[in-house]
Amino acid sequence: MTKWDYDGPILEIENLSISFFTRLREIPAVMDFSCVVQPGEAMGLVGESGCGKSTVALAVMRDLGKNGKIVNGTIKFKGRDLTTMSEQELRDIRGSEIAMIYQEPMASLNPAMKVGQQLMEVPMIHEGVPKADAYQRALEVVRDVRLPDPERILKSYPHQLSGGQQQRIVIAMALMSKPALLILDEPTTALDVTVEAAVVDLVKDLGKKYGTSMLFISHNLGLVLDVCNRLCVMYSGEAVETGSIKDVFDKMQHPYTQALFRSIPLPGADKNSRPLIAIPGNFPLPHERPNGCNFGPRCDYFQAGRCDAGDVPMFDVEGYDRHETRCLRVAEIDWNAPPQVAKKSEKMPIGDVVLRMEDLRKYYEVSANALFGGGDSKVVKANETLSFEAHEGETLAIVGESGCGKSTFAKVLMGLETATSGQILLYDNEIQSTPIENRSTETVSGVQMVFQNPFDTLNPSMTVGRQIIRALEIFGEGNSDAERRDRMLELLDLVKLPREFATRMPRQLSGGQKQRVGIARAFAGGAKIVVADEPVSALDVSVQAAVTDLLMEIQRKNRTTLLFISHDLSIVRYLSDRVMVMYLGHVVELGTTDQVFSPPYHPYTEALLSAVPIADTHVVKKRIVLEGDIPSAMNPPPGCPFQTRCRWKSRVPDNLCEREVPPMKTFPGGLQVKCHLSDEEFASMEPVIKVAAE
Amino acid sequence: MEDLGWSGIVVAILRNFLPVWISLAVLFAVSIRYKRRLGLYGKLFDSMIAMIGFALVMFWVFTAIFSDLIVTHDTLGQISQMKNKFPGTATPDGSGWYLLGGDHLGRDVFSRVVAGSRIVVQIAPLATLFAFMVGISLGLPAGYYGGRLDTVLSFLANLILAFPVILLFYLLVTPEIVETGLPQYMALVLFLFPIAFMMVLVNSRYYVVPAFRNKVMLIIAVVGGYLYLSLVGEVGTRVAVLPGAADFIHVPGNILIVFVSVVFVNSPTVYRIVRGITLDIKTRDYVAAGQTRGERPWYIMLWEILPNARGPLIVDFCLRIGYTTILLGTLGFFGLGLSPESPDWGSTINAGRKLLTIAPHPAIVPALALMSLVLGLNLLADGLREESLRD
Repeated sequence: MTKWDYDGPILEIENLSISFFTRLREIPAVMDFSCVVQPGEAMGLVGESGCGKSTVALAVMRDLGKNGKIVNGTIKFKGRDLTTMSEQELRDIRGSEIAMIYQEPMASLNPAMKVGQQLMEVPMIHEGVPKADAYQRALEVVRDVRLPDPERILKSYPHQLSGGQQQRIVIAMALMSKPALLILDEPTTALDVTVEAAVVDLVKDLGKKYGTSMLFISHNLGLVLDVCNRLCVMYSGEAVETGSIKDVFDKMQHPYTQALFRSIPLPGADKNSRPLIAIPGNFPLPHERPNGCNFGPRCDYFQAGRCDAGDVPMFDVEGYDRHETRCLRVAEIDWNAPPQVAKKSEKMPIGDVVLRMEDLRKYYEVSANALFGGGDSKVVKANETLSFEAHEGETLAIVGESGCGKSTFAKVLMGLETATSGQILLYDNEIQSTPIENRSTETVSGVQMVFQNPFDTLNPSMTVGRQIIRALEIFGEGNSDAERRDRMLELLDLVKLPREFATRMPRQLSGGQKQRVGIARAFAGGAKIVVADEPVSALDVSVQAAVTDLLMEIQRKNRTTLLFISHDLSIVRYLSDRVMVMYLGHVVELGTTDQVFSPPYHPYTEALLSAVPIADTHVVKKRIVLEGDIPSAMNPPPGCPFQTRCRWKSRVPDNLCEREVPPMKTFPGGLQVKCHLSDEEFASMEPVIKVAAE
Repeated sequence: MEDLGWSGIVVAILRNFLPVWISLAVLFAVSIRYKRRLGLYGKLFDSMIAMIGFALVMFWVFTAIFSDLIVTHDTLGQISQMKNKFPGTATPDGSGWYLLGGDHLGRDVFSRVVAGSRIVVQIAPLATLFAFMVGISLGLPAGYYGGRLDTVLSFLANLILAFPVILLFYLLVTPEIVETGLPQYMALVLFLFPIAFMMVLVNSRYYVVPAFRNKVMLIIAVVGGYLYLSLVGEVGTRVAVLPGAADFIHVPGNILIVFVSVVFVNSPTVYRIVRGITLDIKTRDYVAAGQTRGERPWYIMLWEILPNARGPLIVDFCLRIGYTTILLGTLGFFGLGLSPESPDWGSTINAGRKLLTIAPHPAIVPALALMSLVLGLNLLADGLREESLRD
């Protein structure tokens, strides 16, 4: 009925231009975009937020909303032009021939309908399949997406499943009608790293099994390397480079692609000897794009009078398979020249212990009925026996996935919660049971925090300057308003923001700029210890490098102790001196960065390392996919917290892992690992990440 | 003198409202000229709906301000020949016309509607403002702290909301209850909120600059305290604090009762809205940043949370003035609160309804006035909501 055979490319987009129309002006979102997806091919669409990659996906679905219009070009799906189709024809194609998977799984599922019904709906609507057959097919697809106990899953509601399971159901739903094209818009951004790795693996295998073509949209180059055959890099509404993964990753032919790769922490980068190179300047707003090449103002190879003369078309790169670039100077640039390394810096000596945690525990009691009390109360063990030291001038990374207790730990340290037992020693003062209102100003201003979400970290109705001055007032800095104002301007200098920003409202700032203000605020009272809770994970790649550098620079200047909470092991490897890995409230591994990133590993660290996507074709990774999800902290497994997902469990005799929490084992050199494995087993571990010879 | 035809009536009314037209024109001209510099208020002038709403509201506000210039006759003066006369009838002494006719006692409907606007425009926004102060002062801590405080306050709010409003009013204005001084005691409590609110607002922010804080606090305490005492107290009643010589603000007992009851029934709804928004906003990182900086709870509530809750609150404020206006009308209609002589719109509608079949105009004119004001407020709220979402 709606499916037809066609043996050309599945998707051909030609010179597509899309604009959004607002009251004030027309905003071009995508300009002159072309790409071809062959049957069975996975095409990656990469770029920073606002570059138009999602708009392309929505245009393929013809779902641009009432403001969006395709102003030029064609989108041919299996030879038929989607831009001229009627609503009726589009309805037939959507969901049956082209399926889309979005970022937030819970938003794609109907919370009031059982999973089974939602899945069965697809073939029943599109193909008029009888109910019993639809059920069989649903069962089959759920099995395909590797969910345990398919019958039970089909009978449950979406909220009864975990995030990873929900996303698998969304994928299953997309596959129900065996579509020819699958569009994935950041499908794993909302998931934890180990779950993400499993989902990505699944998508890859299913693509092969069903022969589905894919359009994979992501900001993560590592993921694209894992999933796709070809890739298209977008910048500010234009495709700047297309080609096969290998060509673009290894022999990039566009300055933006090159700058992008130089600004992400790949293995080998180091904060002292090989620092990241941030892309200068800011992403242009859609209505403030420069003349000529959009990347011109930020490009190292920019030539006035040529690059800004007129629109730049796509050029074929000689000698490669369908490799195109939008750069006038492609033939003149020496693409193999080593980057001009920014200033190298000396490794900072590590000072005395400033913060010591001993056997810290934090339990929460959750009672079943909040209003009238009573009922059973459960104990959530958010932190179990946390012990570590942090030294002056050191970066200690705290790594773990959601629910591992890293935020609780931060709250206890900051004094927003008090510890259940154990000790926190800050310069030999016990602070574990002093809530923040009883702490001295000095203690409070000495321990500060940088938050994760730049759009949430500043009060939207207060000027930037006012917010920093407020912090100064609270910390008792400065004796008069004028003094505090001067101090505030100095802080803006410190985080490299122009002084005019003092009078701006947060909504006038970009994400990276807001994060800088957040950093300035944290350092207002001369903080000695700064807890940075994923400070760059919500930022675009090119901005991440700059903000990370800034943090490092301030650290060097002030000899601050940085507790860097993150799940991104690439950035952790780049900037931390020591690493602490947490799982379900336990510290499972603690050591210097080199020790943690090389064997012997804790089995969880090993899986985590394997799960992190790395955007480098020379890296060979051992694939370790963890089964299942992280257990709930309300109901942790007995014995070792990791035993439910551990692949080494069978090597330990007597079911010891299920009975006893392992002791902390200390290796020569100081690496600590919480595991029952014997020394011989540890010695037999192989490195997860190997860099192949060039 | 001749009676006026319809066109003559329209012309005469338009001419009488001349001060209002001039003020409206000036206000709009200035506002549109500088709209880019006026923040959210300026954005109102980007939306037709908001402008119409604003114009309707400001029409009645200016009418209230200039009502002494606009009225053509004494609002209480009765001319027996003019009973139930139709619009445009000339007065027997030839001094003018009853532009919108006479009511059942021979008073000028036009002048009474104009004078009535003053009562409505005075009480409704002020009562709503007080209701907001009470609702905000209780809703913020309930949402922020949660737990038992929240449970108790929400339970009380539900209790008040579940009680039939009209019945509550009847109880409050019953002479026996008035005699016990209950409404005045309620006023004692409710009027305390704005002063407490202002003081906490200033203290939470400026306690780090004590000299400035003390100055402002003193001003609030003296001015607010005086207003409070003279508003609440009245010589000769149960609550009389200030001596008669120092008490310059005289609030008639029945208006105070109306005021108190309106605040009392409106504040639980405001409380619920504020509590809900607080629950949402307190999870934001900037609130956490405030906490980790060692800010005190009231600073976080009043300076970090409240300003970011302003959008929905401003919209609700406009809508709620509308409800309060209707509520005042309803109260007047039932003969509660204000004196029967009062020209407020609710009372006049009630008085006019008995003779609706013979002479509809004494009831219809104030009804239309009430409708246009509430419509204006609703349109204004709509426009505000729409414009506040845009950037």
